[in-house]
Amino acid sequence: MLKKLCGTILPLLLFVSMGVGQTKSVSGKVTDENGAPIVGATIVVKGAKTGVNSDAQGTFTISVAGNKFLEVTAVGFESKQISSNSSSFSIVLKADVKALSEVLVTGFGGSQIKRDVTGNIARVKGKDIEYMPTPSLDAALQGKAAGVYVNSQSGKLGQAVTVRIRGNSSISASSQPLYVLDGVPITTNSQSNYGGAMNPLSDINPNDIESMEVLKDASAGAIYGSRAANGVILITTKRGKAGKTSVTFNMQSGYSEATKRLHMLNSQEYGELVLEAAGNSDAIEGIPVDEPYSYTTYAKEGILGYYSYGQWANNPTKTYNWQDKVFQKGPYKQADLQIRGGNENTKFYSSFQHLDQTGTIIGNNLIRSTGRLNVDQKANDWLDLGVSLSLSRTFTVRLPDDNAFSNPLQAVALSPFTPFLDPNTGLDAGAPPGDVGIPVYYNPVLTVKYGKFTQDVYRTLGNSYLRAKILPGLTFQTEYGIDYLSQNEESYFQSQTVRNQSTAVRGVGSNNGAFITNYNTNSYFNYAKLFGKHNVTATMGMQYQQSQAKYNYIEGTDFPSDSYQKIASAATKSAGSSSQTDFRFLSYFLRSNYTFNKKYIFSASGRIDESSRFGKNSRAGFFPAVSGGWILSNENFLEKNRYISFLKLRGSYGIVGNAEIGNFPQLDLFSGDAGYAGVGGQRPSQLGNDDLHWETTAQMDFGFDFGLLNNRITGEIDYYNKKTNGLLLNVNIPATTGFNSQVRNVGNLENKGFELVLNSQNLVGAFKWSTNMNIALNKGKVTNIQGQIIEGGVDKMNRVVEGYPVGVFYTVEFAGVDPQNGDAQFYTNTKKPDGSLEKTKTSNYSEASRIVSGDPNPDYVFGFTNNFSYKGFDLSVFFNGVLGNQVNIYGMGRYSSASMRYEDNQTYDQLNRWRKPGDITNIPQVRLYYTNGAQNSSRYIVNGSYIRLRTVSLGYTINPKLLTRLKIEKMRVYASAQNLLTFTKYPYWDPEVNSDGFDSNISKGNDFYTPPQPRTILFGVNLSF
Amino acid sequence: MKIYKSISNHILPLFIAAIGFASCEKQLDIFPTQSIAAEKAMTDENAVSSTLIGCYDGIQTSSLYGGDIMVLNEIIGNSTNIRFTGTFAGLDQAYRGEMTSNNSFAEATWGSAYNTINRCNHVLANLEKVTSSPENKSRVEGEALFLRASIYFELVRLYAKAIGDGDANSNPGVPLVLKPTSNPITEADYPSRSSVKQVYDQVVADLSRAEQLLPESNSRYATKWAAAAQSAKVYLTLGMYADARDAADRVIEGSGIELNQSFENLWFTYIYGGGQTPAEYIFSIKVTTQDGTNSLNTYFGRTISDIPGTAGRSDCKVKDAHMDIYEVGDLRSTFFVESGGARYTKKHLDQYGDVPVIRLAELYLIRAEANIRESSMVGADPVDDINAIRARAGLAPLAEVTLDDVLHEKMVELAFEGNYLPEAKRLQRTVGVTPWNSPTLILPIPQREMDVNKNLTQNQGY
Repeated sequence: MLKKLCGTILPLLLFVSMGVGQTKSVSGKVTDENGAPIVGATIVVKGAKTGVNSDAQGTFTISVAGNKFLEVTAVGFESKQISSNSSSFSIVLKADVKALSEVLVTGFGGSQIKRDVTGNIARVKGKDIEYMPTPSLDAALQGKAAGVYVNSQSGKLGQAVTVRIRGNSSISASSQPLYVLDGVPITTNSQSNYGGAMNPLSDINPNDIESMEVLKDASAGAIYGSRAANGVILITTKRGKAGKTSVTFNMQSGYSEATKRLHMLNSQEYGELVLEAAGNSDAIEGIPVDEPYSYTTYAKEGILGYYSYGQWANNPTKTYNWQDKVFQKGPYKQADLQIRGGNENTKFYSSFQHLDQTGTIIGNNLIRSTGRLNVDQKANDWLDLGVSLSLSRTFTVRLPDDNAFSNPLQAVALSPFTPFLDPNTGLDAGAPPGDVGIPVYYNPVLTVKYGKFTQDVYRTLGNSYLRAKILPGLTFQTEYGIDYLSQNEESYFQSQTVRNQSTAVRGVGSNNGAFITNYNTNSYFNYAKLFGKHNVTATMGMQYQQSQAKYNYIEGTDFPSDSYQKIASAATKSAGSSSQTDFRFLSYFLRSNYTFNKKYIFSASGRIDESSRFGKNSRAGFFPAVSGGWILSNENFLEKNRYISFLKLRGSYGIVGNAEIGNFPQLDLFSGDAGYAGVGGQRPSQLGNDDLHWETTAQMDFGFDFGLLNNRITGEIDYYNKKTNGLLLNVNIPATTGFNSQVRNVGNLENKGFELVLNSQNLVGAFKWSTNMNIALNKGKVTNIQGQIIEGGVDKMNRVVEGYPVGVFYTVEFAGVDPQNGDAQFYTNTKKPDGSLEKTKTSNYSEASRIVSGDPNPDYVFGFTNNFSYKGFDLSVFFNGVLGNQVNIYGMGRYSSASMRYEDNQTYDQLNRWRKPGDITNIPQVRLYYTNGAQNSSRYIVNGSYIRLRTVSLGYTINPKLLTRLKIEKMRVYASAQNLLTFTKYPYWDPEVNSDGFDSNISKGNDFYTPPQPRTILFGVNLSF
Repeated sequence: MKIYKSISNHILPLFIAAIGFASCEKQLDIFPTQSIAAEKAMTDENAVSSTLIGCYDGIQTSSLYGGDIMVLNEIIGNSTNIRFTGTFAGLDQAYRGEMTSNNSFAEATWGSAYNTINRCNHVLANLEKVTSSPENKSRVEGEALFLRASIYFELVRLYAKAIGDGDANSNPGVPLVLKPTSNPITEADYPSRSSVKQVYDQVVADLSRAEQLLPESNSRYATKWAAAAQSAKVYLTLGMYADARDAADRVIEGSGIELNQSFENLWFTYIYGGGQTPAEYIFSIKVTTQDGTNSLNTYFGRTISDIPGTAGRSDCKVKDAHMDIYEVGDLRSTFFVESGGARYTKKHLDQYGDVPVIRLAELYLIRAEANIRESSMVGADPVDDINAIRARAGLAPLAEVTLDDVLHEKMVELAFEGNYLPEAKRLQRTVGVTPWNSPTLILPIPQREMDVNKNLTQNQGY
C-alpha cells in the first residue's frame, strides 16, 4: 500500500517536451532489483523542466530531441542517469537505503520523503522490531524512537504498557498516544476485569508491521486534531509485492526467567530479628519478656511457633524460600509464516502466527494466534481497491493485580519458616482442611492451584479502500474500517481460596463479556502537482468514527462441587450486569505542502473535530498548524561542501487536542445502580459541565536534519515546547455537595525537551558496522492547577504539584536514625518566612511537612543500537535506558523494609538495624508492631535509572549456494536474548516498574510486589522459499 | 472524457454517500445507557421512590451503616478490649489514637455521608411529586428525614466535640446541608460548620417529624419505631433523659416487638437465619450476596474453617482483658471463637449478616438508665428491664439495679456493636488510656475537604 500511495501523490503529468530539431519517442520500463515495476518514477530529459511518470506497469514513453541523458528518480530509490541513445530501456533502480530518502507515512494517504518533511516524524521499521519477544508493538517501540518513553510496567504477560511521547501532557485524561492502524483509530483501552490493565495492542502481530510512524509535533499531528496531543502512532501493515511469491517461515523458542530475585531473610535471621523487635516493644511498654502477654511470648508462640506449625522450636534454621515457589522458568514458542507476492494487478500479503509464552511467575500464560490477508487490486486505469483483514485470538491466563494477597510475588512477605506444605495434611500451607490462618498472609500458590482467571480476546481488524484517479494529480480515496474486539473472561475459584476470596465458600465463578465495535470511515482528495520549480500537494477530506462498547457480567456461587465450574451449575447467581457506552467523532481536515526549488518548504494543516464527548457549548474545535523548512544543502554555498551532504532547518507550530476525556463527562447524570435489598434505586451520579471540551496543546518545534560524509552519518536535532491548557481536571468540590469533583478544563502544564538522533555507517566493507542512537531530554512542569489537590499512588504519595512534573512523589523527608535511641528521624521542613525550609530533625512524624521528594518521570530516555555483519554473521546489540527518575518502593517497603512493623519477612538490609547507642545506620531500631520509620517518607523513594541490554541477537545466514538443492532461498539461524543485563542501583526487583494496582497518569513509578521483566533467551531459524 | 464520466457516475455519489452518512450532526447526540440526564430523573412519584431506595443504598455503603461507623466507634482508642492487627493504615491510626487529617476512613465516611444526604435532599425537595396518597407522601418524607437525621447524628458524634466537652452552642459541629445540589456550583455550596447544638436541633426535629410521619410497619425500611429508637439514643446523648425514656418506652410498648428468645439467634442472620432479619432489629442494614458489605464482618470477622460462610480480615482480636467484664455463666461470654492463637467475637463472622443499627435490647437499657436517672418507672421498673436482658444471657435476675449495673449490662450486651466510643464520651469514661475528651478521639475534618472549602475549621490537634 505504501508504495502505491507514494505513486499516487507524485505528479501524474504528461508534458511533452517541445524540443527543437529531431525528436524521437523513447519508451522503457522501470523496475526494482527484484524486477517489480516501480510506479510513479519520474523520467526527465536532463536540463528540461518537465518529465513523465512511469505507469502502473512501470512503463513510460518520453520524447527526446537528439541524444540526451535521461534522469530517472523514484521515491525510495537511488536515482539513475542513462543516455537516450536507444529506443527501449529496462531501467533497474537500486533501493535507497539511506535514511534521508525514506518515505514517511503522514496519514490520510499522505506520504513524504524524509528529506522534505518539516514536522517531526520518527519512523520505526517493522524490520527493526521483528521477532522480538514482546507480545505488543508498543513495548517494541522502546528505545527505538527519540522522545518516545516506554515503560513495560511489569513482567505480567499482555498487560498494559505506558507510552509517553514528549512527556506526559495530561493529568486526568489519557496520556497514551492515538494508534491508527491502516487508517483506523483502534481500540487501545484495557477491557480487563481482573488484575491490572491489559493491552489490546497485544492482539496485533508485530511482525505484520511494515512501519510505525510516530507523529510527534503539532504540524505532523494536526491532521488528527483533537486526538493528537499525546502524539499519533501510524501503523502500516505489510502489503503485497508484484513478482515472485516469497514465503518466509520463522520459528523461535526458548524460555524466560525473572531478571532478579530479592535477598530476603532466612529463618535464623528472621527469628533473631523478630525476637529482638518483640523485646524492644516489651521494653517500651515495660512488659517483662516472659509474661504470657508480652510481645516476646507472642513472637515465639504466635509468630515463630504458630506459622511454622510448631516446627520452628526444633529447627530454627530450616528456611523455605517462598520466592522460589512463585518464580519459574517459562517456555517461549513462536512460529511465523509470511507469504507475499502478486502481479501487476493483484498483490497480496498474508501471514500467520502462533505464540505461546509462559510467564516467569506461576500462573501466567499467553497464547496468541493471528492471521492476516492484505490484497490490493488494480481494477482499471483509474480505480484501485483493496482489502485488509486480520483475525486474532489472544488467550491469557491472568495474574491478580499487584495489590492482592493472591499476587504470587506477595509470597516474599511470608515467613521463611512456614513450610510450603502443611505437615498435618500434606497439602499446600493454608489449604483447608488444614489451618487457613497459616501462613501469616494468604498463600498465593493456592490461587494458582485452586483458582483461575482467563481472558480470551477475539479481534477483527479490517479495512477496505477505493482509490480513483480523477484528474492528473488528483485522486479520491474512500476507506471503511472496522475494529471488532470481543472478549470473554472466565474465572473459577475453589473453596481452598476462601481466605483470599471470601465468596468462594462453595466455589465462585464469573463470566464477563466485552464487545466493542468501532467503525471508521475516511474520505479524502489528494492532489499533487509539479509546476516547474513549484511542487504542491494537498489533502482534504473527512473522517467519521463511532465506537460502541457493550459489557455483560455474571457471577455465581454455591457450586455442587469443584468439578462444575461454569455458571450453569451455580445454585446462586450472585451478581450480574450489562452496560454500554459510546463515543463518536466527526472531523474535517485539510493539509497542504508547497516546495519551491527543492529548497523551501511550507506546510499548513488543520482539522475541525466534533465529538459526543464535548459539552453543548463547545461542540466543535479547530486545530491548525503551520511548518516550514529550508534545505540549505541545496543552496549554492553548501552544494559543493565536502562534509555536509545534507542540511535542513525546519520549524513548526500548531495546536492539537486531547479528547480522551472519557465518555459523557459533560452531562449531569443520575444512575440507576443504587438498589437496596433487591429493590432498584437511583442516585445523582455526576455533576456535569456544558462547557467541557478537549485539552489543548500548542506545540512549537525547531530542528535540523543533517547528513555528513555523503550521508554516512545522518541525524536530527530537535527542540520542542509543548504548552497544554484547558487541562481536564476533576476539580475537587466540597464533598458536602454530595459529589467529590466536577470535571472542568482548568489547568496548564508544559513539556520542553531536546531530541537527538544519530545514525552512522561506521564500516561499510565486508565487515559492516552501523550505529543508531537516539536520546531525548524532557522536562515537564505543571504550571497551574488552581490549587487542586490531586494525588494518587501508593499511600497517595504521587501528587500533582505546580512547578513540578505530573505525579511527583510528595512525602516527608527521612533524616536517618538517631544514634542515641534508634528512632527514625525526619526533617521538619516547615517553611520559614524567607521561603527556605527548616531542616530540624524530629522523631515525631506528624511534625514533619511533606515536600517533593522525587519524580517518576525520567529526564533522559535513550536507545543505542549497534549492528555488525561479516560474511554470513550478523550481530545486533541494543541498549536502552532511562535516567533521572525515581521509584517509590513504599508499597512493599512499608511491610518488608519496615523494622518489623508487621510480621512480614524483611529485606536483607534490615539486619543492619540500630542496636545500641552510638550505632550509625539508616535502619531504625526494630520494634514489633511499632511504627519506627515505616511511615511513608523519602526513605522509600529510590533511584530508578537504568541501562539495559534490551536485545542482543546473533545470527548466521547459511550460504545460499548450499541451499539451492533444498529449494530454500535463504536460511538464517539465530540466538537472541532480551533483558540480558541491567545496570541499576535499584534495590528491589526491577526499576522498569509501574504497579498495575495503582496505575494512572498521576500514579507512576510505584513498585508494589510488581513482577520484574523477563529475561528471555531464544533460538530461532528463519527460512525463505 | 471518459474520466469525467466516471467521476460523475461513480465517485461523486460515493463521496456524497460517505459524507452524507456522517455529516448528520445528530449522530453526535448520544447519551449514556446506565444513566439518565438529571433533568429527566426526578419527574414523577416512581422516580422519587427510586431515589428514596437510593438513600438506603447510600446509607448501606460500608463507610456508613454498612459498618465503618460502628467499626470506628469500637476501635478508636480501644486498646482495652481489642488488639488491632490490621494493615489498613486509616484504621490502625484510629486504633492508636494517631489519626492524621488525611485519614482514609474519616474521608470516606464524610464523603459517603454527604453523598447520601444529597440523595435524601433530592427526595425531600420533590415530595410534591408523590401524589398517589397522603400516606405514601408522609412515608417517603419520614424515611428520608430518618435517614438524613441518622447520618447527621453519627457525623456530629464522630467529627465534633462530645456533649459536655465545652459549649455545644459554640463548638463546631458539621455543615448542615438541607437542599439538593445542582449545577452550577455556587458559594452556597461551600458551607461552614454549624454548631454542635444546631446539628442536634436539626436531628431532633427531623426524627420527631419522621416519627409522626412514618408507619408502624414498613417492610425492611424505616418505621415509626426506628425513628423513635433513634430519638431515644439522641436524647440520651444529649442528657435529656426523660425524652430518651419516653421515646424508648414508645418503642417497647408501642411496637409490639419482643426481645429475641435466644441471644445466639440474633447473629449469623445469613448462615443460620437464611437472611431473615431478627424482629429485635428495630433498624438494620440488609446485606445480601449481591449487594452490600458488612464491614463489621470485614474487620472483626475471620474465616473459621468449621463455620462455612464466615469471612473477614481477622484484624480485631479480642483481648483477655475484655473477658473480665462477663459474669460466670453469661452465655454472651461464650460467644467468641478461638482461632490462630487469638480470640474473635462471633457477632460478626457472617459475611452476609445484617448490620444491626438499633436493636430492642438497647431500648430496654435506655429506658432503664433514664428511669433510674429520672427516678421514675415509666413503662417498667428498671430492674425488670435489666433482668429481661440478663435472663436471655442465662444469668440470674437481680433484685435491684444501680445506674452502674445498667451501664455495665449495656457494655456487655452491646459489646463490639459500635457503642464503645459514644458510651465512653457520653459517660466521660477513659478510652483505653486516653481521656474521654481527648481530641485524638475525634475524627479530623478530611484534609481534602479543608483544602477545598476555606469556610471550614479543622478540629483541634489536626
